[in-house]
Amino acid sequence: MGSGDIVLMRHDGGMSERTARVFSWVAAAAAAATATGDDNGHISMAALCRAAHLQLGVDGASVTAMTGPGTHTPIAASGELAAELEELQVTFGEGPCLAAFTFSSPMLVPDLAEVTARWPGFAGAALERGVGAVFAFPLHAGTIQLGVLELHRAATGPMTAEQLANTLVFADLALQLLLDSSSGIDRRPGYRPTDEISHGRDVVHQATGMVAVQLGVDMAEALARLRARAFTEDVPLNEVAADVVTRRLRFDPQAGPEEKPE
Amino acid sequence: MVRGMAMREQRVTDAFVELADTLVAGFDAVEFLHTLTERCVELLDADTAGLLLSDERGSLRLVAASTGETRLLELFELQEQEGPSLECYHSRQVVTLPDVNQETERWPRFTATAAELGFSGVHAIPMQLRTQIIGTLTLFRTHPDGLDEADARLGKALVDVATIGLLSERAVRHQEMVTEQLQTALNSRVTVEQAKGVLAERHGVTTDQAFAAMRRHARSRNQRLDEVAGEAIAGGLRIADTGTDGLTLTHTRSGRT
Repeated sequence: MGSGDIVLMRHDGGMSERTARVFSWVAAAAAAATATGDDNGHISMAALCRAAHLQLGVDGASVTAMTGPGTHTPIAASGELAAELEELQVTFGEGPCLAAFTFSSPMLVPDLAEVTARWPGFAGAALERGVGAVFAFPLHAGTIQLGVLELHRAATGPMTAEQLANTLVFADLALQLLLDSSSGIDRRPGYRPTDEISHGRDVVHQATGMVAVQLGVDMAEALARLRARAFTEDVPLNEVAADVVTRRLRFDPQAGPEEKPE
Repeated sequence: MVRGMAMREQRVTDAFVELADTLVAGFDAVEFLHTLTERCVELLDADTAGLLLSDERGSLRLVAASTGETRLLELFELQEQEGPSLECYHSRQVVTLPDVNQETERWPRFTATAAELGFSGVHAIPMQLRTQIIGTLTLFRTHPDGLDEADARLGKALVDVATIGLLSERAVRHQEMVTEQLQTALNSRVTVEQAKGVLAERHGVTTDQAFAAMRRHARSRNQRLDEVAGEAIAGGLRIADTGTDGLTLTHTRSGRT
């Protein structure tokens, strides 16, 4: 087996080695914060940003929640500069974070000096603050779009394939945290994000569409409800999703996420 | 015959030129990979081709195929979980399956689906440059046995030139652009899955029927599948049973263009 820069999924349905590793980094950052009394040990977005800063070869990371143009809520940042870069983009109304959200695509800017024509206000202000490179990743799953993970570093140059792969997993995890904080399960004891949004689980996305129609809610809420049910019942998300797709399980708008026999 | 040979040679040359040309303005990585699958089917003794790419997190995802047929797409998507494409990706070697019926124990779901669709020979080529592997191109044949040696070499060469083009660092922005486009393409597939669920629930059809209706709609209007999916999710399209044509999508408001 090659020991190159790509970690393989070993088994169907489990967590990939890479995902397990990223989760362990975030958990370690959360535990470290608890030890110093800064945090309560929950897998929080603040811990995620600190872990991203430490592990991705960058100087800072931030997560911003966005639901549409002009809705821009800072959630967490690993440092002052990371937070400031987000504020600058709101001020100027331009930048990689906004573009990543608008185009639903990563925005990889290995050299900010090359994009001064595209983002004159933001690029100029960021360069003045010693930022050389910015990488922004949408927190999305299909039509669900909840925000952006942004990284910055002083040195210019592209991310390595390994850093990029890890960052994409960080972004998946950030999306899950946003979804789970909307349903509140992230505050429950024993909470642990699952690994089934990004890894080839078509059935989860199909079930999301079905539950959205059953409950008359948007896709994000439908997926949050599916995840909350999986957590509460302690069953894998893809099993709950398979029950929905095969019509063994319906979500009832009156009764909350209750099973309703046909 | 001689004339036919010369024409083929010309087509091969054209394909190489086309696949080497990745540094054009407005380069579209996904469109480029579609072209690769189409050229392989045209030039090689193969009936259909599909391209699975690493999602950059370590899993394989179908991003392009020479066909739009739902059942064939499923055969490729199945290989995100098992089959010769995944084997090729893990081993970084060409995997040739002379007859799917001889591998039923190793890959039960894959071989059953392939046999059901009338395929017997499979040939999977890794897309790699030096130590970096990014995915696989897999060819299917309705008749048994692998590609002959000349076709196998040509297939490998076409895949290699395309891979080198994709991973090219000649243009500063190229790598970033390819990543951005591929991640966007992967997310489009999620949108399509969500739309299948929406249509299936709203109209009491299966997700397969919903998918077939979306594909037919996209093809007849020359629209991208993820655009149709987005419209379906937004409530702009509904399924109608037109009898002879089966299930089709129509706009919910009359007079809409």
